[in-house]
Amino acid sequence: MLKLFKEIRKTGCATVGYPFEPLAQADGVRGKPEHTADACIACAACAVACPPNAIQMIPDIEEGTVTWSINYGRCIFCGRCEEVCPTRAIVLTKAFELAVMSKADLETKSVYRLQACSVCGEYFASRKQIELAARILGQDSDQTEVLQAIDGLGICPTCKRTRDGVAASNHAKLTGGVR
Amino acid sequence: MIIDREVPGSLQFQPTKVELDEEVAAAKATLLHDIKRSVYLYRCDLGGCNGCEIEIFSTITSVFDAERFGIKNTASPRHADIMIYTGAVTRSTRLPGLRAYAGAPDPKLVVAYGACGCSGGIFHDNYCVWGGADKIIPVDVYIPGCPPSPAQTIYGLAMALGLLEQKLHAETTVEADDERAPLRFETIPYKVRVEIEREARRLAGYRYGCDLANEFLTTLMLADVDVHGTMTQFIASQDDPRRVEIYRRLYDVLMSHARSDG
Ligand code: SF4
Ligand code: SF4
Ligand code: SF4
Repeated sequence: MLKLFKEIRKTGCATVGYPFEPLAQADGVRGKPEHTADACIACAACAVACPPNAIQMIPDIEEGTVTWSINYGRCIFCGRCEEVCPTRAIVLTKAFELAVMSKADLETKSVYRLQACSVCGEYFASRKQIELAARILGQDSDQTEVLQAIDGLGICPTCKRTRDGVAASNHAKLTGGVR
Repeated sequence: MIIDREVPGSLQFQPTKVELDEEVAAAKATLLHDIKRSVYLYRCDLGGCNGCEIEIFSTITSVFDAERFGIKNTASPRHADIMIYTGAVTRSTRLPGLRAYAGAPDPKLVVAYGACGCSGGIFHDNYCVWGGADKIIPVDVYIPGCPPSPAQTIYGLAMALGLLEQKLHAETTVEADDERAPLRFETIPYKVRVEIEREARRLAGYRYGCDLANEFLTTLMLADVDVHGTMTQFIASQDDPRRVEIYRRLYDVLMSHARSDG
């Protein structure tokens, strides 16, 4: 009996203190993906990468907004969103206390405004995305091509194609056609 | 990418959900927050991958020891106070799930366990899946995770029994008028940054490559005068030879740009 007590004392207690004390977690634990709404440019890279479609982007053309949403009840904590995010707006943290009593609480949303094309007026991307692209391009603003590219940022891909097509055909006319 | 959110739901037969009658609902409301005895739980698999089962059983091992809170596992739904449903509810597991539900005495708590149990998880758009235990029975607690860790499970069960508070709440943020995303590593030319990130990801994979590139670029941002000295010292201070190699190559990328830009 005494021997048993000694053994027990030597072995100690293996049980963790959680929930009465914080849980010690290893490095690289993948917990709750935390979304920083300010840093997000609503580029939808994470929504495309997310294997179970826990992250979704739903545009509302009437309002001119796009709603980013994450459903923690569907997330499989794979970290693909963190890998593809260009601004590190979504990063997996170690937080794990995600259980809820009502399903609606599993969802977090952020609403972003859309950018309308300066030619045809259709929405084609998020406003913040275009704004960030302009700032990045602006870092090399001494080159003429870059200035042209910044000019064209507010135009949707369809109008840009039309513009380029017209320019190409004008150019062809001037130089005697394409052979 | 626009996904048709009605598929496969619109193409499937939709089961009728079991509804609680008032008496049971009232009894359950009392039970949910004020249970003054041990509870027995029964785990029912509705077509999961078994990952969740493994975590449930590691919850009752000595490391996480759910019996501290009087939570015990039982082999029969007849003895259960808490029913834990794992899996995405497939066509062939619906009836066994309903039978287990009917077999447990009222009032009982129902826990939707794992990403599958909460919403179908990774299987949510499968043709033979209804996506979540709440499509067939009333659910009280949702425990997300794929699978939920034992600590998460203990948290969820403790919350169901009124011992802990719920932390996650629905939230909607709206973009402010002049909101701008911060430009990362502003003083480093964009092309150099992208090339360093690409090289790091090529060498170390996406996730670790991203971490390594961040560390490298942060050090580079802080090095103002003596870039060569700071970076050499930074590389020398690494104790993992793999990191040394990767940082050395990143430094080569940086130098090739410095040379071509003059
Ligand atoms: S961790 Fe994986 S499943 Fe979760 S939101 Fe990110 S990409 Fe989607
Ligand atoms: S990838 Fe990042 S920036 Fe793009 S929508 Fe997702 S969180 Fe926002
Ligand atoms: S939630 Fe994940 S671990 Fe659990 S059954 Fe579904 S796929 Fe498996």
